Amino acid sequence: MASQCYPDGVERDPVIEEYKKHVDRTLLRENLKLTVEQRLRNLMELQKLSEELRRAGRKVR
Amino acid sequence: MSVDYARFFAALCGGGVEFILVGGTAANVHGSARLTQDVDIVYRRSRENVARLVAALGPFDPYLRGAPPGLPFRWDAETISRGLNFTLQTKLGPVDTLGEITGGGGYDALLAHTLEIGAFGQRIRCLDLRKLIEVKRAAGRPKDLEAVAELEALLDESGG
Repeated sequence: MASQCYPDGVERDPVIEEYKKHVDRTLLRENLKLTVEQRLRNLMELQKLSEELRRAGRKVR
Repeated sequence: MSVDYARFFAALCGGGVEFILVGGTAANVHGSARLTQDVDIVYRRSRENVARLVAALGPFDPYLRGAPPGLPFRWDAETISRGLNFTLQTKLGPVDTLGEITGGGGYDALLAHTLEIGAFGQRIRCLDLRKLIEVKRAAGRPKDLEAVAELEALLDESGG
């Protein structure tokens, strides 16, 4: 496959292009509406949730 | 353990540490929806800055992440100067302090590829999106393929 580039020269990789088809862009568009601090606060909440879920999983085992 | 970004940035910025935010947290800054569990920074390897880094993180008990307790690990300037990249557990959460990253080099090489962001009342240097894509590609890990795809989608969404 011939390589393609973004206008600024970033090379397009056909494998990455395949993965890109499955990226949920609605989530990205929502994130882009937020400030940097709001994005980091959301990340912290996700980290806490992930920790809680792991803790609950350990209790079940 | 989650990362307390507010206190982490306050500690580093308040201590005058020269650092660049990289990795998954930098991806989140650019709009990524992927979960990362730690915070990665590239710190400047000057003697003065290593001393500032040691002083800034010292109160938060940095220890080698995943290492058994009781190892003779000392968070001091000598340890940092003799090593390069440290994956740490701290009271503020998991922190990776990196002297260099694959495909990007150290602080001075990366500095031209950063932007200044504002968060939690601090001004923070963060790797720009294009360089972040470049270093993720250079890392060449299978798990990064999806991350690179998402970052490139963000580049598309933000007008390339």
